[in-house]
Amino acid sequence: MSDRNRYSRKAALSLRISEFEVPPMQDLLIVGRKAPIGPEAVRRMAEALSPEQFSLIKIDHPRIEAVLMRNSLMQMLDKDVLMNIILEEAQNMISDSMVLRSELKIAISVEREVDLP
Amino acid sequence: MKISEIMTTSVHTISSWKSVSSAAEQMNERKIGSLLVVDHNEVMGILTSRDVRSAHPNRIVADAMTPSLITVTPDQDIWHAYHLLKAHQIERILVMEDSQMKGLVTREEIMRKLSESLDAHTGLYRAPYIRYIGEELLKQRKPFHLIFVDINDFGRINKEHGHPFGDDVIRALSTRLVNLVHEKDDFLCRYAGDEFVIISLADEERIDEYLKQITKPMVLDDVPISVAVGYLNGRKEPEFFSHSLKELLRKVSLMSSLNKQYKKERSWGDLYDLRRQEEIDISSKESEDEQQGEGVRKGIPNIYL
Repeated sequence: MSDRNRYSRKAALSLRISEFEVPPMQDLLIVGRKAPIGPEAVRRMAEALSPEQFSLIKIDHPRIEAVLMRNSLMQMLDKDVLMNIILEEAQNMISDSMVLRSELKIAISVEREVDLP
Repeated sequence: MKISEIMTTSVHTISSWKSVSSAAEQMNERKIGSLLVVDHNEVMGILTSRDVRSAHPNRIVADAMTPSLITVTPDQDIWHAYHLLKAHQIERILVMEDSQMKGLVTREEIMRKLSESLDAHTGLYRAPYIRYIGEELLKQRKPFHLIFVDINDFGRINKEHGHPFGDDVIRALSTRLVNLVHEKDDFLCRYAGDEFVIISLADEERIDEYLKQITKPMVLDDVPISVAVGYLNGRKEPEFFSHSLKELLRKVSLMSSLNKQYKKERSWGDLYDLRRQEEIDISSKESEDEQQGEGVRKGIPNIYL
Protein backbone atom coordinates (compact mmCIF):
# COMPACT_ATOMS: atom_id res chain seq x y z
CA MET A 1 0.00 0.00 0.00
CA SER A 2 2.78 2.40 0.94
CA ASP A 3 4.47 1.79 -2.46
CA ARG A 4 1.31 2.88 -4.32
CA ASN A 5 1.25 6.12 -2.45
CA ARG A 6 4.86 6.84 -3.23
CA TYR A 7 4.93 6.04 -7.00
CA SER A 8 2.66 6.86 -9.91
CA ARG A 9 2.64 5.45 -13.51
CA LYS A 10 2.62 7.85 -16.43
CA ALA A 11 2.72 7.48 -20.18
CA ALA A 12 4.32 9.94 -22.58
CA LEU A 13 2.85 10.09 -26.08
CA SER A 14 4.57 11.31 -29.17
CA LEU A 15 2.62 11.57 -32.43
CA ARG A 16 4.31 12.12 -35.77
CA ILE A 17 2.13 12.48 -38.85
CA SER A 18 3.29 12.36 -42.43
CA GLU A 19 1.70 11.75 -45.81
CA PHE A 20 1.16 8.11 -46.73
CA GLU A 21 2.84 7.20 -49.97
CA VAL A 22 0.92 5.17 -52.51
CA PRO A 23 2.31 2.64 -52.98
CA PRO A 24 4.27 2.49 -49.72
CA MET A 25 7.51 2.30 -51.62
CA GLN A 26 9.56 4.42 -53.94
CA ASP A 27 11.23 3.19 -57.08
CA LEU A 28 12.45 -0.27 -56.20
CA LEU A 29 11.84 -3.24 -53.96
CA ILE A 30 14.49 -5.93 -53.75
CA VAL A 31 12.99 -9.16 -52.44
CA GLY A 32 15.07 -11.77 -50.61
CA ARG A 33 14.53 -15.47 -51.35
CA LYS A 34 13.14 -16.21 -47.88
CA ALA A 35 11.51 -12.84 -47.23
CA PRO A 36 8.11 -12.87 -45.50
CA ILE A 37 6.68 -11.00 -48.49
CA GLY A 38 7.27 -12.82 -51.74
CA PRO A 39 7.56 -11.38 -55.25
CA GLU A 40 4.00 -12.20 -56.25
CA ALA A 41 2.57 -10.51 -53.16
CA VAL A 42 4.74 -7.46 -53.86
CA ARG A 43 3.63 -7.41 -57.50
CA ARG A 44 -0.04 -7.69 -56.55
CA MET A 45 0.32 -4.91 -53.97
CA ALA A 46 1.92 -2.57 -56.49
CA GLU A 47 -0.62 -3.48 -59.15
CA ALA A 48 -3.52 -2.86 -56.77
CA LEU A 49 -2.23 0.53 -55.59
CA SER A 50 -0.49 1.81 -58.73
CA PRO A 51 -1.75 -0.14 -61.72
CA GLU A 52 0.70 -0.64 -64.60
CA GLN A 53 3.44 1.42 -63.00
CA PHE A 54 5.70 -1.37 -61.76
CA SER A 55 7.20 -4.53 -63.24
CA LEU A 56 8.43 -7.58 -61.42
CA ILE A 57 11.75 -8.97 -62.60
CA LYS A 58 12.56 -12.44 -61.27
CA ILE A 59 16.26 -13.18 -61.10
CA ASP A 60 18.58 -16.10 -60.56
CA HIS A 61 20.58 -15.10 -57.49
CA PRO A 62 21.43 -17.03 -54.31
CA ARG A 63 19.83 -14.44 -51.98
CA ILE A 64 17.67 -12.21 -54.15
CA GLU A 65 14.49 -13.61 -55.70
CA ALA A 66 13.12 -10.62 -57.58
CA VAL A 67 13.18 -6.88 -58.08
CA LEU A 68 10.07 -4.77 -58.43
CA MET A 69 10.94 -1.69 -60.51
CA ARG A 70 9.10 1.42 -61.58
CA ASN A 71 8.44 1.17 -65.31
CA SER A 72 9.48 4.77 -65.99
CA LEU A 73 13.05 3.92 -64.96
CA MET A 74 13.24 1.27 -67.65
CA GLN A 75 11.98 3.74 -70.20
CA MET A 76 14.97 5.95 -69.46
CA LEU A 77 17.68 3.34 -69.18
CA ASP A 78 18.19 -0.20 -70.39
CA LYS A 79 16.75 -2.76 -67.95
CA ASP A 80 19.92 -4.88 -67.85
CA VAL A 81 22.11 -1.87 -67.14
CA LEU A 82 19.83 -0.90 -64.25
CA MET A 83 19.63 -4.44 -62.89
CA ASN A 84 23.40 -4.88 -62.92
CA ILE A 85 23.89 -1.72 -60.88
CA ILE A 86 21.06 -2.56 -58.46
CA LEU A 87 22.29 -6.09 -57.83
CA GLU A 88 25.88 -5.03 -57.47
CA GLU A 89 24.95 -2.59 -54.72
CA ALA A 90 22.16 -4.55 -53.04
CA GLN A 91 23.87 -7.90 -52.77
CA ASN A 92 26.45 -6.46 -50.37
CA MET A 93 23.83 -5.65 -47.77
CA ILE A 94 20.80 -7.90 -48.33
CA SER A 95 20.14 -11.20 -46.58
CA ASP A 96 17.75 -13.72 -48.05
CA SER A 97 15.04 -12.84 -45.50
CA MET A 98 15.01 -9.08 -46.21
CA VAL A 99 13.02 -6.81 -48.49
CA LEU A 100 14.90 -3.62 -49.36
CA ARG A 101 13.24 -0.44 -50.47
CA SER A 102 15.22 1.88 -52.66
CA GLU A 103 15.02 5.21 -54.34
CA LEU A 104 16.57 5.51 -57.74
CA LYS A 105 16.69 8.83 -59.50
CA ILE A 106 18.12 9.30 -62.93
CA ALA A 107 19.48 12.71 -63.82
CA ILE A 108 20.57 13.15 -67.37
CA SER A 109 23.15 15.73 -68.14
CA VAL A 110 23.55 16.84 -71.73
CA GLU A 111 26.05 19.20 -73.20
CA ARG A 112 25.89 20.16 -76.83
CA GLU A 113 27.82 22.40 -79.03
CA VAL A 114 26.07 24.27 -81.80
CA ASP A 115 27.43 26.38 -84.57
CA LEU A 116 26.90 30.06 -84.11
CA PRO A 117 25.27 31.95 -86.98
CA MET B 1 -2.90 -49.58 -66.97
CA LYS B 2 -4.56 -46.20 -67.21
CA ILE B 3 -4.16 -43.23 -64.90
CA SER B 4 -7.94 -43.21 -64.39
CA GLU B 5 -7.62 -46.52 -62.52
CA ILE B 6 -5.57 -45.03 -59.70
CA MET B 7 -6.24 -41.29 -59.60
CA THR B 8 -8.06 -39.67 -56.74
CA THR B 9 -10.86 -37.32 -57.73
CA SER B 10 -11.29 -35.56 -54.37
CA VAL B 11 -8.73 -32.77 -54.54
CA HIS B 12 -8.51 -30.08 -51.88
CA THR B 13 -7.96 -26.55 -53.11
CA ILE B 14 -6.77 -23.20 -51.81
CA SER B 15 -6.70 -19.67 -53.18
CA SER B 16 -3.35 -18.14 -54.12
CA TRP B 17 -4.12 -15.18 -51.85
CA LYS B 18 -4.11 -17.28 -48.68
CA SER B 19 -1.05 -17.38 -46.44
CA VAL B 20 1.32 -20.28 -46.35
CA SER B 21 0.61 -20.72 -42.65
CA SER B 22 -3.13 -21.12 -43.28
CA ALA B 23 -2.34 -23.62 -46.03
CA ALA B 24 -0.15 -25.57 -43.60
CA GLU B 25 -2.99 -25.59 -41.09
CA GLN B 26 -5.43 -26.88 -43.69
CA MET B 27 -3.01 -29.60 -44.75
CA ASN B 28 -2.43 -30.66 -41.16
CA GLU B 29 -6.14 -30.75 -40.38
CA ARG B 30 -6.96 -32.84 -43.43
CA LYS B 31 -3.78 -34.91 -43.15
CA ILE B 32 -2.91 -34.30 -46.79
CA GLY B 33 0.38 -33.53 -48.51
CA SER B 34 -0.75 -31.02 -51.12
CA LEU B 35 -3.34 -28.44 -52.04
CA LEU B 36 -4.28 -27.43 -55.53
CA VAL B 37 -4.11 -23.66 -55.99
CA VAL B 38 -7.24 -22.45 -57.75
CA ASP B 39 -8.28 -18.85 -58.46
CA HIS B 40 -11.63 -18.20 -60.18
CA ASN B 41 -11.89 -21.85 -61.25
CA GLU B 42 -8.49 -21.68 -62.91
CA VAL B 43 -5.71 -23.96 -61.72
CA MET B 44 -2.70 -21.79 -60.86
CA GLY B 45 -0.35 -24.36 -59.40
CA ILE B 46 0.11 -26.84 -56.61
CA LEU B 47 1.28 -26.28 -53.06
CA THR B 48 3.00 -29.31 -51.58
CA SER B 49 4.29 -29.93 -48.06
CA ARG B 50 7.77 -29.47 -49.52
CA ASP B 51 6.79 -25.97 -50.72
CA VAL B 52 5.32 -25.15 -47.31
CA ARG B 53 8.49 -26.25 -45.53
CA SER B 54 10.71 -24.07 -47.68
CA ALA B 55 8.63 -20.86 -47.64
CA HIS B 56 8.19 -18.19 -44.99
CA PRO B 57 4.77 -18.73 -43.30
CA ASN B 58 3.78 -15.10 -43.96
CA ARG B 59 4.12 -15.45 -47.71
CA ILE B 60 1.02 -15.80 -49.80
CA VAL B 61 0.41 -19.15 -51.45
CA ALA B 62 1.18 -17.62 -54.86
CA ASP B 63 4.77 -17.06 -53.67
CA ALA B 64 5.25 -20.56 -52.34
CA MET B 65 3.41 -22.83 -54.80
CA THR B 66 4.91 -24.75 -57.67
CA PRO B 67 3.47 -22.94 -60.67
CA SER B 68 4.62 -25.12 -63.56
CA LEU B 69 2.22 -28.00 -63.40
CA ILE B 70 3.04 -31.40 -64.74
CA THR B 71 -0.17 -32.94 -65.96
CA VAL B 72 -1.43 -36.18 -67.43
CA THR B 73 -4.74 -37.19 -68.91
CA PRO B 74 -6.88 -39.96 -67.38
CA ASP B 75 -6.37 -42.24 -70.39
CA GLN B 76 -2.57 -42.07 -70.34
CA ASP B 77 -0.50 -44.99 -69.16
CA ILE B 78 0.72 -45.23 -65.57
CA TRP B 79 4.23 -45.81 -66.93
CA HIS B 80 4.06 -42.37 -68.48
CA ALA B 81 3.22 -40.85 -65.09
CA TYR B 82 6.08 -42.81 -63.55
CA HIS B 83 8.60 -41.38 -66.02
CA LEU B 84 7.30 -37.85 -65.43
CA LEU B 85 7.75 -38.36 -61.68
CA LYS B 86 11.31 -39.47 -62.23
CA ALA B 87 12.19 -36.79 -64.77
CA HIS B 88 10.82 -33.89 -62.72
CA GLN B 89 11.50 -35.36 -59.27
CA ILE B 90 7.98 -34.66 -58.07
CA GLU B 91 5.53 -36.47 -55.83
CA ARG B 92 2.20 -35.71 -57.47
CA ILE B 93 0.82 -35.18 -60.93
CA LEU B 94 -2.38 -33.37 -61.75
CA VAL B 95 -4.85 -35.17 -63.98
CA MET B 96 -6.41 -32.81 -66.52
CA GLU B 97 -8.71 -33.34 -69.47
CA ASP B 98 -9.86 -30.60 -71.86
CA SER B 99 -8.44 -27.97 -69.48
CA GLN B 100 -10.61 -29.39 -66.70
CA MET B 101 -9.12 -30.77 -63.52
CA LYS B 102 -10.08 -34.41 -63.09
CA GLY B 103 -7.99 -35.44 -60.11
CA LEU B 104 -4.57 -36.12 -58.74
CA VAL B 105 -2.22 -39.06 -58.85
CA THR B 106 0.51 -39.56 -56.26
CA ARG B 107 3.92 -41.23 -56.44
CA GLU B 108 2.82 -43.62 -53.69
CA GLU B 109 -0.17 -44.81 -55.70
CA ILE B 110 1.81 -45.08 -58.93
CA MET B 111 4.56 -47.09 -57.27
CA ARG B 112 2.01 -49.36 -55.56
CA LYS B 113 0.35 -50.09 -58.90
CA LEU B 114 3.64 -50.58 -60.71
CA SER B 115 4.86 -52.97 -58.05
CA GLU B 116 2.08 -55.27 -59.28
CA SER B 117 3.97 -55.35 -62.59
CA LEU B 118 7.15 -56.49 -60.93
CA ASP B 119 8.31 -60.00 -61.47
CA ALA B 120 8.54 -61.41 -57.93
CA HIS B 121 11.24 -63.85 -58.95
CA THR B 122 13.80 -61.39 -60.36
CA GLY B 123 12.55 -58.03 -59.17
CA LEU B 124 12.48 -56.86 -62.81
CA TYR B 125 9.49 -55.29 -64.50
CA ARG B 126 7.47 -57.56 -66.74
CA ALA B 127 6.57 -57.30 -70.44
CA PRO B 128 4.07 -54.38 -70.22
CA TYR B 129 6.94 -52.15 -69.12
CA ILE B 130 9.08 -52.77 -72.16
CA ARG B 131 6.05 -52.57 -74.43
CA TYR B 132 5.27 -49.11 -73.06
CA ILE B 133 8.89 -47.92 -73.38
CA GLY B 134 9.25 -49.24 -76.93
CA GLU B 135 5.96 -47.83 -78.12
CA GLU B 136 6.76 -44.43 -76.62
CA LEU B 137 10.18 -44.32 -78.29
CA LEU B 138 8.66 -45.31 -81.62
CA LYS B 139 6.03 -42.62 -81.19
CA GLN B 140 8.78 -40.07 -80.51
CA ARG B 141 10.77 -41.46 -83.45
CA LYS B 142 13.78 -42.14 -81.26
CA PRO B 143 15.81 -45.05 -82.63
CA PHE B 144 16.83 -47.66 -80.08
CA HIS B 145 18.64 -50.96 -79.77
CA LEU B 146 16.51 -54.00 -79.07
CA ILE B 147 18.15 -57.01 -77.47
CA PHE B 148 16.31 -60.28 -76.88
CA VAL B 149 17.97 -62.77 -74.56
CA ASP B 150 16.77 -66.34 -74.33
CA ILE B 151 18.29 -69.18 -72.32
CA ASN B 152 19.24 -72.19 -74.43
CA ASP B 153 17.61 -75.51 -73.56
CA PHE B 154 15.88 -74.10 -70.52
CA GLY B 155 13.27 -76.85 -70.64
CA ARG B 156 16.00 -79.47 -70.57
CA ILE B 157 17.77 -77.70 -67.69
CA ASN B 158 14.56 -77.79 -65.67
CA LYS B 159 13.99 -81.41 -66.55
CA GLU B 160 17.51 -82.60 -65.78
CA HIS B 161 18.35 -80.41 -62.78
CA GLY B 162 14.95 -79.54 -61.37
CA HIS B 163 12.88 -76.37 -61.34
CA PRO B 164 14.59 -74.82 -58.29
CA PHE B 165 17.84 -74.95 -60.24
CA GLY B 166 16.06 -73.46 -63.25
CA ASP B 167 14.95 -70.63 -60.99
CA ASP B 168 18.55 -70.06 -59.95
CA VAL B 169 19.56 -69.86 -63.61
CA ILE B 170 16.90 -67.21 -64.26
CA ARG B 171 18.07 -65.23 -61.25
CA ALA B 172 21.74 -65.50 -62.23
CA LEU B 173 21.06 -64.24 -65.74
CA SER B 174 18.82 -61.49 -64.41
CA THR B 175 21.60 -60.35 -62.03
CA ARG B 176 24.07 -60.31 -64.88
CA LEU B 177 21.75 -58.13 -66.97
CA VAL B 178 20.91 -55.78 -64.10
CA ASN B 179 24.59 -55.23 -63.39
CA LEU B 180 25.20 -54.54 -67.04
CA VAL B 181 22.60 -51.95 -67.91
CA HIS B 182 22.61 -48.26 -67.02
CA GLU B 183 19.55 -46.80 -65.35
CA LYS B 184 19.72 -43.63 -67.42
CA ASP B 185 19.29 -44.99 -70.92
CA ASP B 186 18.59 -48.70 -70.70
CA PHE B 187 15.32 -50.48 -70.02
CA LEU B 188 15.26 -54.10 -68.98
CA CYS B 189 12.46 -56.54 -68.32
CA ARG B 190 11.82 -60.23 -67.85
CA TYR B 191 9.72 -60.66 -70.92
CA ALA B 192 8.43 -64.16 -70.28
CA GLY B 193 9.77 -67.33 -68.69
CA ASP B 194 13.45 -67.52 -69.64
CA GLU B 195 13.32 -64.52 -71.97
CA PHE B 196 14.62 -61.05 -71.22
CA VAL B 197 14.40 -57.89 -73.32
CA ILE B 198 16.60 -54.80 -73.22
CA ILE B 199 15.77 -51.55 -74.96
CA SER B 200 18.77 -49.28 -75.00
CA LEU B 201 19.52 -45.75 -76.12
CA ALA B 202 23.26 -46.24 -75.59
CA ASP B 203 25.84 -45.81 -78.35
CA GLU B 204 26.90 -48.75 -80.48
CA GLU B 205 30.19 -49.16 -78.68
CA ARG B 206 28.38 -49.80 -75.40
CA ILE B 207 25.94 -52.15 -77.12
CA ASP B 208 28.88 -54.18 -78.48
CA GLU B 209 30.14 -54.49 -74.93
CA TYR B 210 26.67 -55.52 -73.70
CA LEU B 211 26.46 -58.25 -76.30
CA LYS B 212 29.90 -59.55 -75.37
CA GLN B 213 29.08 -59.54 -71.67
CA ILE B 214 25.64 -61.11 -72.06
CA THR B 215 27.07 -64.00 -74.04
CA LYS B 216 30.06 -64.61 -71.78
CA PRO B 217 30.33 -68.21 -70.54
CA MET B 218 28.37 -68.93 -67.39
CA VAL B 219 28.55 -72.05 -65.28
CA LEU B 220 26.18 -72.61 -62.41
CA ASP B 221 26.78 -75.60 -60.11
CA ASP B 222 28.95 -77.15 -62.82
CA VAL B 223 26.15 -76.79 -65.36
CA PRO B 224 27.13 -74.70 -68.41
CA ILE B 225 24.49 -72.15 -69.28
CA SER B 226 24.25 -70.55 -72.70
CA VAL B 227 21.98 -67.92 -74.12
CA ALA B 228 20.74 -67.07 -77.58
CA VAL B 229 20.57 -63.40 -78.44
CA GLY B 230 18.60 -61.51 -81.03
CA TYR B 231 19.72 -57.97 -81.68
CA LEU B 232 18.25 -55.15 -83.72
CA ASN B 233 19.83 -51.75 -84.24
CA GLY B 234 17.11 -49.15 -84.75
CA ARG B 235 19.55 -46.76 -86.39
CA LYS B 236 20.40 -49.23 -89.13
CA GLU B 237 17.15 -51.06 -89.60
CA PRO B 238 15.41 -49.79 -92.74
CA GLU B 239 11.98 -48.30 -92.09
CA PHE B 240 12.43 -48.89 -88.39
CA PHE B 241 9.60 -46.56 -87.44
CA SER B 242 7.14 -48.14 -89.80
CA HIS B 243 7.17 -51.26 -87.60
CA SER B 244 5.13 -51.66 -84.46
CA LEU B 245 6.93 -52.74 -81.32
CA LYS B 246 5.14 -56.05 -81.58
CA GLU B 247 6.68 -56.62 -85.02
CA LEU B 248 10.12 -55.59 -83.83
CA LEU B 249 9.89 -57.95 -80.86
CA ARG B 250 8.76 -60.74 -83.16
CA LYS B 251 11.74 -60.15 -85.44
CA VAL B 252 14.26 -60.00 -82.67
CA SER B 253 12.86 -63.07 -80.92
CA LEU B 254 12.95 -64.86 -84.26
CA MET B 255 16.63 -64.00 -84.55
CA SER B 256 17.29 -65.54 -81.18
CA SER B 257 15.29 -68.62 -82.21
CA LEU B 258 17.41 -68.95 -85.34
CA ASN B 259 20.49 -68.81 -83.18
CA LYS B 260 19.09 -71.59 -81.03
CA GLN B 261 18.61 -73.79 -84.09
CA TYR B 262 22.15 -73.48 -85.27
CA LYS B 263 23.92 -75.11 -82.42
CA LYS B 264 27.57 -74.88 -83.19
CA GLU B 265 30.05 -73.59 -80.72
CA ARG B 266 31.01 -70.35 -82.29
CA SER B 267 31.79 -67.05 -80.65
CA TRP B 268 29.61 -64.00 -80.51
CA GLY B 269 32.10 -62.43 -82.88
CA ASP B 270 30.93 -64.75 -85.64
CA LEU B 271 27.36 -63.59 -85.33
CA TYR B 272 28.41 -60.04 -84.86
CA ASP B 273 30.51 -60.09 -88.04
CA LEU B 274 27.60 -61.56 -89.92
CA ARG B 275 25.28 -58.94 -88.54
CA ARG B 276 27.67 -56.24 -89.67
CA GLN B 277 27.70 -57.73 -93.12
CA GLU B 278 23.95 -57.41 -93.07
CA GLU B 279 23.49 -61.05 -93.86
CA ILE B 280 20.66 -61.16 -91.36
CA ASP B 281 17.94 -59.40 -93.22
CA ILE B 282 15.41 -58.87 -90.48
CA SER B 283 13.44 -56.44 -92.57
CA SER B 284 12.63 -59.20 -95.04
CA LYS B 285 8.94 -59.63 -95.69
CA GLU B 286 9.29 -63.38 -96.03
CA SER B 287 7.28 -65.66 -93.86
CA GLU B 288 8.75 -66.80 -90.58
CA ASP B 289 9.40 -70.30 -91.98
CA GLU B 290 11.19 -68.92 -94.97
CA GLN B 291 13.16 -66.59 -92.77
CA GLN B 292 14.19 -69.43 -90.52
CA GLY B 293 15.29 -71.54 -93.44
CA GLU B 294 17.18 -68.63 -94.94
CA GLY B 295 18.76 -67.85 -91.61
CA VAL B 296 20.07 -71.37 -91.19
CA ARG B 297 21.22 -71.53 -94.80
CA LYS B 298 23.22 -68.35 -94.30
CA GLY B 299 24.90 -69.95 -91.34
CA ILE B 300 23.80 -67.70 -88.53
CA PRO B 301 25.60 -69.18 -85.57
CA ASN B 302 24.17 -69.86 -82.18
CA ILE B 303 25.47 -67.79 -79.33
CA TYR B 304 26.86 -70.76 -77.54
CA LEU B 305 28.84 -70.31 -74.39
